[in-house]
Amino acid sequence: MIIDDSRAMRSILRRIVTGLDFETSEAEHGQAALDQMRAGVVPDVCLVDWNMPVMDGYTFITEVRANPEWRDITLMMVTTESEQRQIVRALAAGAHEYVIKPFTPDAIVDKLSLLGLVPA
Amino acid sequence: MTTAVHEGPGSEDVLAVAEDVWMALLGEDGMLVPRAVPTGTPFDTAAWSAATTISGGWQGVVTVELAEALARRLTVRMLALPADQTATDSDVADAVGELVNMVGGNVKSLMPGPSTLSLPAVAAGRAAFARDAALACRVDLSWLDAPVRVSVHVPLGGPR
Repeated sequence: MIIDDSRAMRSILRRIVTGLDFETSEAEHGQAALDQMRAGVVPDVCLVDWNMPVMDGYTFITEVRANPEWRDITLMMVTTESEQRQIVRALAAGAHEYVIKPFTPDAIVDKLSLLGLVPA
Repeated sequence: MTTAVHEGPGSEDVLAVAEDVWMALLGEDGMLVPRAVPTGTPFDTAAWSAATTISGGWQGVVTVELAEALARRLTVRMLALPADQTATDSDVADAVGELVNMVGGNVKSLMPGPSTLSLPAVAAGRAAFARDAALACRVDLSWLDAPVRVSVHVPLGGPR
C-alpha cells in the first residue's frame, strides 16, 4: 500500500513497485489507509509518507503497531523528513526502514531487498 | 545566479538540494543550469509557485517558482502521463507541491532543529511574501531554457 498525499509521488512509487511484481493499493493519508485496512485490504508492506493531512505517517505507524493483527505488516517510511531525530522516532514507533526523498528507484529496491521482500 | 541576503541556508547548499531533487525527478531530460538574474528582478510571468513553511528550531519559508511549460512537463513526467494526455491544473498543483515538499524538507535538514514542515501551498502565479519576511537566499536556474527559482525567506530581523 502506498500512502502519500501526492498523486504524483504515489504514481512514481507505484511504477517502481509494480515493476517488482507487487500489486498496489493507494491511500491519500494515514486515516484513509487505516479505513482500507479495517475494510480488509491488509497489505504486506506499506510505503508511508510522513507529512500528510488528516493523519500523518508517524501516527499511522503507531496505529498499525497498536493492532496485534497487523504485526506482520512491513512499514517503510518514504519522506523528506531527514532529521536524525525523526528517523529515530519513526523506527522506534515501528517502521522497519526509512527512505529519504528524493530517491532513486534503486534505493527503493535496495530497501525492499534488505527487508526480504524482493530477491537480493 | 545565486543571491544571499539574510541569515539562512547557504546558496550553494540550496543549489545542491535543488540539483538532487531535479536529478531524481527529471535528470534524464536535462540538467539544471545556473542563470544570471539581477537582484530584485521578479520571477518570469506565467509561472507556478509553491511554498512550504519550516517552524521550530529554525523558521523560514521555502518557495519554488517554475515557468508554466516546465511545471507541466514536470507533472507529465511525475505522473507518467501518455503522450496524448495533458496535465490538468490539479495535476500540476499536486506535482509542484510535491516538488517544494522535497526541496523544503531537505532545506530543513540543513538548519537547526527540531523543526516541522508544513503541507505545501501551491498557486498559479507568482509567490507573495508577508511584509515581515526577508529574503535569505535565492537561486535562479534554468532547465531546457525554462526558468526555475528557489527562494528561502526568514522572519524579518533574522531567524527566531
